[in-house]
Amino acid sequence: MNEERITQFTEEVAELKLRGAKGDNERWLLLIGSIMLVVGVGLGVGGGVMASGTTNTADQVAAIATGSLVGLVLVIAGTALFLRYSMGRFIRFWMVRFVHEQRSETDRLIAAIEKSQK
Amino acid sequence: MSAIGEPILELKNISASYDAISVLHDVNITVRRGEVMALLGPNGAGKSTVLKIASALMRPTQGSVNIAGHDLTGAAASELARLGVCTIPEGRGIFPNLTVRENLEMAARKGLAVSVIQERAFARFPILAERRTQLAGTLSGGQQQMLSLARGLATDPVLLMLDEMSMGLAPIVVGDLYEQVQAIAAEGVSVLVIEQFARTVLGIADTAVVMSHGHVRFSGNARDVDEATLSSAYLGTK
Repeated sequence: MNEERITQFTEEVAELKLRGAKGDNERWLLLIGSIMLVVGVGLGVGGGVMASGTTNTADQVAAIATGSLVGLVLVIAGTALFLRYSMGRFIRFWMVRFVHEQRSETDRLIAAIEKSQK
Repeated sequence: MSAIGEPILELKNISASYDAISVLHDVNITVRRGEVMALLGPNGAGKSTVLKIASALMRPTQGSVNIAGHDLTGAAASELARLGVCTIPEGRGIFPNLTVRENLEMAARKGLAVSVIQERAFARFPILAERRTQLAGTLSGGQQQMLSLARGLATDPVLLMLDEMSMGLAPIVVGDLYEQVQAIAAEGVSVLVIEQFARTVLGIADTAVVMSHGHVRFSGNARDVDEATLSSAYLGTK
């Protein structure tokens, strides 16, 4: 290992920004995503109901703009956050479980091969 | 050959607990550049907890973890791994259903070409080159440990931490592996080796720390670890 690598390591360590526990951030973002999703759906439905409840075009446009469009944006953003942080956690768990099961399966297979060879 | 240099890992006044059970008490450990440090002690001494704390898999209740002179207590394990702090866990940590080559590819450090990683790994462990297409799970225990080391080296580590490398291996295989560890340290990589079997590792270590019941009982030159120190730690004798 050369001096360049050590220098790079030392510089990267110095630049490392310590963040709080990442798990806490994930929980908060998951909660925010869920709230955005619910509020977005609520706004969308509310906007739709308001727009259909009036014959005034200006009111309909305002209801669709502030309700349905904002709602849609919130639903998309909320869904993205929800999927990212709920699925991320699930996929990590699934990967660990998958590796564990594969390892056990291979161990059993090797043991069976060794047994059959004796 | 690289001389032992500045501190790479410093654990200062570390205490840790699992819920209400205290497992480490005011532990101080310093691993210098290019040094092989043996962390010894019987089962339950707190060795693996030290490793967890050093690799940021666990937070100490007290004390600080300094890496290259910077306090990184509370850093994410993934960030330390990305920088070049490599931990090889007990049980080898390889993917048994991937081939040797695929295992090496999985460990590739960002920016390091797969061909370079393979070249380095196969130069150090020629047997892996012969078995590059073989499933890792079907390798012998010693070869799996070689692959595990090669995977660790693929991350271009500055600090390598090995947990119970000799577990389940024949003494001759362990001897060969520790020779490789010594060679890795000679290139300037700091190595912290956690071992239950003291004699195996003391032959190659520069410094040693002997722990029991979460306390450091001895810290110093590996050559100064005598029977009395080991008996005291392992058997509780005076």
